[in-house]
Amino acid sequence: MASQNQLSREEFDRLREKLGVDGEPAYLDELFTQVRGVFMMADSIRAIDVSGAEPDMAFIPPTD
Amino acid sequence: MDTLEICYMGAGDLSKLVQSKEISPVEIIEAHLTRIDATEPMLNSFITLLADQARKSARQAEKDIQAGRYKGPLHGIPVALKDLYNTGGVRTTSGSRIFDTFIPTEDCTVAAKFHQAGAILLGKLNMHQFAYGPTGENPDYGHMHNPWNPDMVTGGSSGGSGSAAAAGQCTITTGSDTGGSIRIPAALCGIVGLKPTYGLVSRYGLSSLSWSLDHPGPMTRTVEDTAITMNVIAGHDPKDVASAKVDIPDYTSALTGDVKGLRIGIVKEYFEAPLDPQVRKAVMDAISLLESMGAEIKEVSYPMFNQSQAISSTVLMAEATAYHRDLLEKDGHQLYDPVRQRLEAGLFISAAEYLRAQQARSIFDQQGRRLLDEVDLLAGPTEPVTAPEIMASKVMAGEQEVGVVGALTQYTRPYNINGFPAISVPCGFSDDGMPIGLQLAGRPFDELTVLRAAHAYEQANDWHTRRPPI
Repeated sequence: MASQNQLSREEFDRLREKLGVDGEPAYLDELFTQVRGVFMMADSIRAIDVSGAEPDMAFIPPTD
Repeated sequence: MDTLEICYMGAGDLSKLVQSKEISPVEIIEAHLTRIDATEPMLNSFITLLADQARKSARQAEKDIQAGRYKGPLHGIPVALKDLYNTGGVRTTSGSRIFDTFIPTEDCTVAAKFHQAGAILLGKLNMHQFAYGPTGENPDYGHMHNPWNPDMVTGGSSGGSGSAAAAGQCTITTGSDTGGSIRIPAALCGIVGLKPTYGLVSRYGLSSLSWSLDHPGPMTRTVEDTAITMNVIAGHDPKDVASAKVDIPDYTSALTGDVKGLRIGIVKEYFEAPLDPQVRKAVMDAISLLESMGAEIKEVSYPMFNQSQAISSTVLMAEATAYHRDLLEKDGHQLYDPVRQRLEAGLFISAAEYLRAQQARSIFDQQGRRLLDEVDLLAGPTEPVTAPEIMASKVMAGEQEVGVVGALTQYTRPYNINGFPAISVPCGFSDDGMPIGLQLAGRPFDELTVLRAAHAYEQANDWHTRRPPI
């Protein structure tokens, strides 16, 4: 859901309403900051060359 | 024997006295209950104290030992569990009033193993709500307080475990570590905390934060007690889908005091991140000491360290939100606001982004494994700062002001991503008397080397013998 474009407050409000997220204005202000952080993380991960790498399979019990 | 002396003895020493019947489990438990009475109003380590149950168990242990039925080094030794370890018949809150009356019907695997070993459950320990935070703040059961300065955080999420062990309230405590929640409070409270290799200690019966990042493990005052505890709790568990089938060694065999020939890598990127100069000096002094003891020190590079926060946070937030989704919808309004915000922020991560983070995690893991072809251990600070003030959102790391949450997890998260074993061992104090931790990480399932180096370093110092002024 996160995109390379910086998330605007209007986009955030539209998305959170679709997700059923609500709260007091001060609560939502802080949540907005956190969600912008999520979008920045997505950009950071998108910058990593993952070609050829399969997702980590943590639930296969390791034996080595 | 003096009550305080009993409370600050390790399981290694106490068990010898118990086995030789020079001290009774009843005396040990009474000493700890006295210590808890004296210190708990300042620390708030426990959510549930099991005084009557512990006294009863101690009397039974005393009878068994007198009758020649000695079970081993944890028989009659007090243990307390982070309050997300299910305990049959004893409430398990996960640090939230939402579960204030939740009483599991069976023990988690770790609790069952402690019980079989004859350990005495002293209580359930305070924690950051649902383990979702690195400070040890909890509005439902009260904040945890650092024994070295009660105005400061214990670190979290296993904050009660850190303060209880550091203050002599309990001999052995446990934590769970998803982004650092064992090692952070261990470093900030001046104790030893081991995050074992992913899959080595069963997660069965623990409330999850992030399935693929959760690691249960011991928190104690000495490396010896950590090794003794690992001998009891490590091992395959068919009830845990991620549990590893590996041979379990005698972890105390690592306690040789010898580091000659060990190759220790110093990750250069760790020292380029924001870092308090006092922490830097303590850690570099520790590394120099290890070198003088015969270890070979080499600078190495872990290039993806700078992406580790993003990879870890994305995986953690997506998994935590998935795990707690029903709770969020039903009882979200009862959650601590920062916890609720983190859970709701996870809703904004798409499946594609989660899987890309898992792809990046695979590459991060491969980089780490290649590094450990060059060296036996990776060393650095556990924390870039000493314990911040309770409820602070920012902290100074040298000249730089940084966010508390990001700072406290910057060095610990990499080893949750790759699942490598990592320990925090005390390596000094700041000018204002707050503990500093050295982090050592090793190859998957090579806890022996991690414990060997940590023990040798510990024994060359007196940091672990110092007691908080409480």
